Amino acid sequence: MAGIEHRMICDGVEFLGFRDPKFKTARMSVHFLLPMCKEEASANALLPFLLSRASREYPDFTKLEQRLAELYGASLSADVDKVGDMQVLSVAASGLADCYALEGEPVLQHLADLLCSVLFDPLLEDGLFPLDGFEQEKRQTIELIETELNEKRSYARQRCESLMCAEEPYGLSRYGTREEVAALERPQLTESWKHVVAHAPARVIVMGNCELEPLYERFCRAFRALSRGALVLCETHNRPAAPQVREVKEELPVAQAKLVMGFRTGIFQPQKEVAAMRMAMTIFGGTPSSKLFVNVREKQSLCYYCGASYNSMKGIVLVQSGVEEKNIEKARAEILKQLAELQRGRFTEEEWSAAKLSLLNAYRTTADSLGALSGWLLTQSLSGRPLTLEEAAAEMEAVTREEIVAAANQLALDTVYCLVGKGAAV
Amino acid sequence: MSAAIREIRNDRVREHYYEIDHPSGLRILLYPKEHNSSTYAVFGTHYGSIDTTFRVEGEEPCTVPEGIAHYLEHKLFESEDGDAFERYAKTGASANAYTSFDRTCYLFSCTDRFYESLEILLDFVQKPYFTEETVRKEQGIIGQEIRMYDDDPQWRVMFNLLDSLYHTHPVKIDIAGTVESIAKITPDYLYQCYRTFYNLHNMVLCVAGRFDVQKVLDLCDRLLIPSKPQRIERIFKPEPPEIVRSRVEEKLSVAMPMFQLGFKESVTGAGRITTEKDAATDVLLEALAGDASPLFRRLLDAGLINESSFGYEYFEGDGYASVIFSGDSRDPDRTAEAIRREIASMRENGLSQESFERAKKAIYGRTVASLNSVENIANGLAAMAFSGRGLFEYFDCVANLTREDVVRRLEEQLLPQYSALSVILPLDES
Repeated sequence: MAGIEHRMICDGVEFLGFRDPKFKTARMSVHFLLPMCKEEASANALLPFLLSRASREYPDFTKLEQRLAELYGASLSADVDKVGDMQVLSVAASGLADCYALEGEPVLQHLADLLCSVLFDPLLEDGLFPLDGFEQEKRQTIELIETELNEKRSYARQRCESLMCAEEPYGLSRYGTREEVAALERPQLTESWKHVVAHAPARVIVMGNCELEPLYERFCRAFRALSRGALVLCETHNRPAAPQVREVKEELPVAQAKLVMGFRTGIFQPQKEVAAMRMAMTIFGGTPSSKLFVNVREKQSLCYYCGASYNSMKGIVLVQSGVEEKNIEKARAEILKQLAELQRGRFTEEEWSAAKLSLLNAYRTTADSLGALSGWLLTQSLSGRPLTLEEAAAEMEAVTREEIVAAANQLALDTVYCLVGKGAAV
Repeated sequence: MSAAIREIRNDRVREHYYEIDHPSGLRILLYPKEHNSSTYAVFGTHYGSIDTTFRVEGEEPCTVPEGIAHYLEHKLFESEDGDAFERYAKTGASANAYTSFDRTCYLFSCTDRFYESLEILLDFVQKPYFTEETVRKEQGIIGQEIRMYDDDPQWRVMFNLLDSLYHTHPVKIDIAGTVESIAKITPDYLYQCYRTFYNLHNMVLCVAGRFDVQKVLDLCDRLLIPSKPQRIERIFKPEPPEIVRSRVEEKLSVAMPMFQLGFKESVTGAGRITTEKDAATDVLLEALAGDASPLFRRLLDAGLINESSFGYEYFEGDGYASVIFSGDSRDPDRTAEAIRREIASMRENGLSQESFERAKKAIYGRTVASLNSVENIANGLAAMAFSGRGLFEYFDCVANLTREDVVRRLEEQLLPQYSALSVILPLDES
């Protein structure tokens, strides 16, 4: 991954570029970074979706989609995500490298123009986004929020996180609530757009089979045409565990129960101990040879999945599993028992080496996918201590046994969330 | 042992791979990508959940309980001295396996120690080991997996649709089988199916990424246990062209209704369609219901679908073929009606040259883009090998497609009399 170009576009806007002709495509994305806050979450969340459906140049949704199809099925996608206590609004465009176009068209330059057109030159009527598009995106965002319930595994994880972080910005839904979206009015969106493009810190990431210079120039022109005054990047809050474990049991008509256990660790970016914590959690529940997979799933057949994930921005760990309702307590006890083993330093060289190899493999594989690489660059640039993939791998290799044990001992149980079948909750 | 190596090139996408018929009986497809960091290998058998009735040449036909292909997938990871995951843990490869309707694939991806991992892959898949006890233990884990899918509305809406489209074809049965059918599985059944379908003549090895072709072949020479040539006849009861029922619904814990609308096509025996027809169908569906189509716009404007869930696919395998539209919708019946109406209208008014060209470019670009991923390539090579088609033929077929090819396709598929709608509704509030 050597060869990342890092340049400033203007105050608060950084450009990260990486050219690699091994790809058939290139990907360019613009990410706006805002503090997650209740009052503005839903307007912000709607914005990237609203912007990516039309622009002054392509005033009609179908015209815009036809243009993308002509550009060899290029994609234009909007997303909203939480990174720590930040709300990240992203619009990304991916398309075929020019050399593979059947008629030799400059696909990527056209695509960069299109991306700039939707972000910086939106379709406004009397200063407002057109009503039909606005209502469409409101409806679709509400449906996104509602259908989060359909996938029980991620629904249970979200519930646990929002209960655990109820008093932190991270506890808010990335889309805002259904009611907040429904109550949005068009003038709020115009305000949100003006604020975001003129003030929000941003990252522009361009990578793949493309010439960087003309694309860098294109984004410079777009940003420099605005009179920008950037705000500083917001900070992420980290808390100690609740003095008493919060226990929440909810009912839904499901056949399989879900158990999610949330831990606080006090170790978060940009601390150097993040590497040891990541290693500890990989040994604990990050691979098919981890303690949780081997003991809770394989030896005891208690569940189909059981794993641990570490959010290094928030310093929290979630252990998730899908279990038979009657086995919840058994699974919970076994999970805590495995954690205690790790905390006492009871893990073998083989378990450690397996976790290390798995993490190294994951880092190196990241360089083969534009989407994964882009995600890595973005989170690193927000971590306060950006590392290349090679540097992250080297840190991981340098972690010692003592550091792993010390990290594992930082885990303090904060919240236990159970989703059970209807009629079973006590 | 030595085998002839054929190079398959495509100048349009500037890619190439090698095809080898190994003396052991195994078909080997090697796709080097030297600038990649990772390498992805798939060892697969042309054996999926639908292969429940079959006849090995010279033997009697037989029928086995549902869910064995998937059960075998779980059990092959185990051997007398530990499981394959433990062995992969020593090389750092990320390993997995999947069972679909018509194939079972064991795979890994890695960035280092590739040949050691390949050795593990070739070894454990060729060495079955089951006892009464290990078979019984797996029933707990697979039982939980089946339970998990019982709650999965995406899964339920699909199987309810397949059950409404197909009278006899086993594609209508859950890939993992049922809690009842897996209870009937014994080591004997597992060994019988293993011997039948894990014969190397029925299998393929596909590797894509950074590796040395000769080293892989040397390893294959050393590790592959030659199989006797064998012909397997896959037996499917005759499937009438008619559907079972035109509408089915189920209530589950979902926030809004969900649908799948399927159009069944007649298939003779275990036949597969040609690459030309496959490409023509993809362009047809893109023109009919892609993001740039009038239908997509109309459904959105009417509030009937959303961009995050609406989709369509050509669902095609041994002895079955259907076009399936799917998504979340506040009114699945009106959505289905609008789709059916659009198909009728396209049949009547034809397809404009403009929207044909646009759809063709979109399909071409997205397919070339899929070559970014060694995972797509290796799995694509395996799927193509089992369907008797080549990976690169598709690019040329799309590039050479004419509007007439697509219109001809419309005459033989998407027929309203063979369509069924499956709906998942939210539970009543009690």
